[in-house]
Amino acid sequence: MAIIERPSTVPALAGGGAPQFVTPSSSYGVFRRPVSSTGWRSWLFTVDHKKLGLMYGGAAMFFFLVGGVEALLIRTQLAAPDNTLLSASLYNQLFTMHATTMIFLFVMPVTTGFANYLVPLQIGARDVAFPRLNAFGFWCFLFGGIFLNTSWFLGGAADGGWFMYQPNANALFSPSHGVDFWSLGLQITGIASLTGALNLIVTILNMRAPGMTLMKMPIFTWMVLVVQFLLVFAIPVITVALFLLMFQRVFGAQFFNVDAGADPLLWQHLFWIFGHPEVYILILPSFGIVSEVLPVFSRKPLFGYKFVVFSGAAIGFIGWGVWAHHMFASGLGPVSVAVFSVSTMLIAIPTGVKIVNWTLTMWGGKLRFTTAMLFAIGLIVEFTIGGLSGVTHSVSPSDTQQTDTYYIVAHFHYVLFGGAVFGIFAGFYYWWPKVFGKMLSETLGKWNFWLMVIGMNLTFGPMHILGLQGQPRRMVVYPEKLTGEGFFNLHFWNTVASVGSYILATGILMFLINVLHTARKGAKAPLDPWDARSLEWLTASPPKAHNFDVIPHVHALDEYFHLKYEEVDTDAGPRLVKVKTAEELLAEQEANADEHIHMPSPSYWPMIVAIALPIIAYGIIFSKVLAVAGGAILLLGMFAWSLEPSVADDSDYDPPQGGAPSKELASV
Amino acid sequence: MSGVEQRVSTVRFVKQRSGIVLAIVAAAVMLGGCARNAPQDTFQPAGENARRINNLQLPVFIIAGVVFAIVLGMVLFIVVRYRDRGQEMPKQTHGKPALEIVLTIIPAIILIGVGIPTVSTVFSLAKTSDTQCVINVTGQQWWWEYEYPVQTCGGVNIAEPIVTSGELVLPTKVHVLLRITSNDVIHSYWIPKLNGKRDAVPGRIHPLRMEADQPGIYAGQCTEFCGLSHARMRMDAVGLYTADFATWVANQLQLAPKPTDAMALRGEDTFRTQCSRCHQVNGLMEENADGTNSDKPVISFPDLYVVAGNAPNLTNLMTRTTFAGATWDLLNDQCRKALHDASPDKFGALYLKGVTPDCFNEADLREWIRNAPAKKPMYSSEAQKAQNGGKYRGMPNLNLTDNQIDEIIAYLLERK
Repeated sequence: MAIIERPSTVPALAGGGAPQFVTPSSSYGVFRRPVSSTGWRSWLFTVDHKKLGLMYGGAAMFFFLVGGVEALLIRTQLAAPDNTLLSASLYNQLFTMHATTMIFLFVMPVTTGFANYLVPLQIGARDVAFPRLNAFGFWCFLFGGIFLNTSWFLGGAADGGWFMYQPNANALFSPSHGVDFWSLGLQITGIASLTGALNLIVTILNMRAPGMTLMKMPIFTWMVLVVQFLLVFAIPVITVALFLLMFQRVFGAQFFNVDAGADPLLWQHLFWIFGHPEVYILILPSFGIVSEVLPVFSRKPLFGYKFVVFSGAAIGFIGWGVWAHHMFASGLGPVSVAVFSVSTMLIAIPTGVKIVNWTLTMWGGKLRFTTAMLFAIGLIVEFTIGGLSGVTHSVSPSDTQQTDTYYIVAHFHYVLFGGAVFGIFAGFYYWWPKVFGKMLSETLGKWNFWLMVIGMNLTFGPMHILGLQGQPRRMVVYPEKLTGEGFFNLHFWNTVASVGSYILATGILMFLINVLHTARKGAKAPLDPWDARSLEWLTASPPKAHNFDVIPHVHALDEYFHLKYEEVDTDAGPRLVKVKTAEELLAEQEANADEHIHMPSPSYWPMIVAIALPIIAYGIIFSKVLAVAGGAILLLGMFAWSLEPSVADDSDYDPPQGGAPSKELASV
Repeated sequence: MSGVEQRVSTVRFVKQRSGIVLAIVAAAVMLGGCARNAPQDTFQPAGENARRINNLQLPVFIIAGVVFAIVLGMVLFIVVRYRDRGQEMPKQTHGKPALEIVLTIIPAIILIGVGIPTVSTVFSLAKTSDTQCVINVTGQQWWWEYEYPVQTCGGVNIAEPIVTSGELVLPTKVHVLLRITSNDVIHSYWIPKLNGKRDAVPGRIHPLRMEADQPGIYAGQCTEFCGLSHARMRMDAVGLYTADFATWVANQLQLAPKPTDAMALRGEDTFRTQCSRCHQVNGLMEENADGTNSDKPVISFPDLYVVAGNAPNLTNLMTRTTFAGATWDLLNDQCRKALHDASPDKFGALYLKGVTPDCFNEADLREWIRNAPAKKPMYSSEAQKAQNGGKYRGMPNLNLTDNQIDEIIAYLLERK
């Protein structure tokens, strides 16, 4: 049985004398360092990567519902031509915030949640490299997201589109504070992304279990690594752009003003140099998830692991050279347009490699159609549609017809919903028993999947037709006279899309019902319900606080699978034989448990430093005094953080009862 | 498992997976289920450059469709063929590099096949050396202005600059070069049947070539998000045979005469005091004390009142068929339909008649003059004017009386 060490003796006072009990208030004057491992404090001040991963996921799902309601309002407005449900001003805010929320407050944090929870488990580590920085990142994301959404109640949300083109988003043309909230809020969530990325890069490169070379690393961890490098280089670009935007709006700077000799296209370049790698930041984690799910439910290794790894890295590299394909109509001139057309076509190759490898992973397998597997297969099909419509955009002359129409909306929803979101849902169903120790209902799961598939194809499928037949995006109304003739006119397809969006929403509701149902009555999950292949399944479900009783030694890709199965030669050729069960492997772990496991202690300071940022941001918008107050909290918090040891002092714990050694059993 | 059993279970499988079947049927319905005669359909080119784009995009869409069918077919096959039927644990193969290299090279070859015509089309679309006519196009919140500089445009002499808005009138089968810019935020000029989009960026002039094969009206819309009334910033291109175009040019260059009708005459007065600060009418003169025209023209100065520094020139308003960013019709439904359905040979004569009193759609114009920002959201209330640095964005509510509105409409009805 592993043991987390806690102080076993009462520290002696200086000058000798009889040992006295130290009162808890001694460490920070009035405050005591948080050390509880249960209760709400253990969540609020936690630095545990698993708790933080869950908090990322929970908060992101909340924002997913917010963004979903925004989407439903948009689709309701567009159900019929010349509809008057929403005002133009509100509609512009809704589509701006729908995109901002789904990208920055849902897909990015929920995939960060997956990475946070699973990467240390997949690489056989006990936590991330910088646990407090990890907590800080989460709070920055949460506070930044809440700050951004308070704009709804403080004079209106941003209304310039998520791309916030200049000069339409400067103070003259967007006079509410919405864009200020947007630029400041995203700077705060950007800090979360950047610290999270550095943390995970260091974790993955330095903390892998012995024997796990890079090419024996689980594919999800690989894709996470690529994404973190993309973040490290992309987030600074958008941060610079947001900073310039903030200075232009709040302090009268002139970075994008033609009248002052600047150029509004500078904003577009900065935005899309971030914006395109961002697309891969959103999609690659899901590629990683399905690359884990497909082999498990096909009972075969990932086909062409190396090709999948290198194509992921190649997408990461080429992704930097395609940004101007968002600007084919901006007037860049034929040479730039031709170059970016070709580079955009190039990126289709590594993406195609992934589709081919997933398909070949299933080829010759023994497929089990669990909900996770259905979502993974759904991703292959839906993402292929989005990928192919993407190839049609790379043909820049044709893109000048389709850009800023519903065809583009169809394209990126097939990529982001059919791709990223399907991958995320595959991950939910696949890892739920690992994380919560309970199985999500497969029956409700099937309802969830099929409603989402039908809903998304009814919602986004018709948008191909709408766009190709000339309906532009970002229009609060479309006139009857542009909808064409016949039964299948654009009015009809808009109505279909709106009905589809409600079916889609019902599918997501099924997931929420499933979660509640599982929490109340869910069946206890077996230790290894899917016959999985990677290390996170080696520990208990839910995993122990310190993940592994003993750090595993890795010998192969799919290490966990090879611990369970061995190839035995028979007359009919080699056969796979199960040599150990999951329970036996866990028992082995527990039998050989490490004696001394030191886990980092909780801390107030990540949260306090993070909460200073929105205070400063409110101050920049409303009152300089508030900004100074926020700055003071920030400085104080950073100072206290830097003086705080990573492991709590003995004096922070409750004194042992009756002088007995205080040791806490670590097994759950 | 015998062959029959397998077939039966396959049938059962397909039944169980009826969602997939449904999806395929849905896809087929979608392909066959497009709107007819959608005015902004991108697959119905009516000019040389739009046709170049269409010739390129059609095969690309077909290739994409074929690739999707292959992937979908593969996935469906695998899902049926390799589902868990209690078979042996499969062989743990890690991949076949030769197969993967081949499957990487095939898409690369397809993309080379797409890439070469793409690049050559990009350059052929950018060609402007054989231009026969130049029109300056300026976007602003939320309408388009066209200026025809002095030139010979497709054989028609334009002796003085023409300024108009909403409808881009161009001679058919003439290579027209648009020089596009903006007075405020970024807009995008798009007439799908004539060419792809080109952004209107302040401080830059972007070229875009257009040709119309036949006389007719080609719908278009601003496609770069440009703020509050982005959805109500539209435009039409109007193709006219060269002879008709010459007639149009001659008419545009005539100065507005003094009205003869008493109502319109009072309307001219009201226009002079209420509208002419922003809206230019060429030929409108200051009045002498006795009500006769002086020799001093009324010059509008919208730069003092609106952020974009511009307002539509109304000299020939009733030669156009729409107003307020081409969003509302000046023609009633019947006349509008007659004009849009007219054969190419009859179109010119009908269009050049302009808005006659029996074709006039008075209701929308009346609402607009009564309270423009209520009809089309703009930043033109007094409170918003303060936020805009003391200028309106768009047309304010002028609080005109019913009499004044009647008079102005009578006056405007003669602007042709």
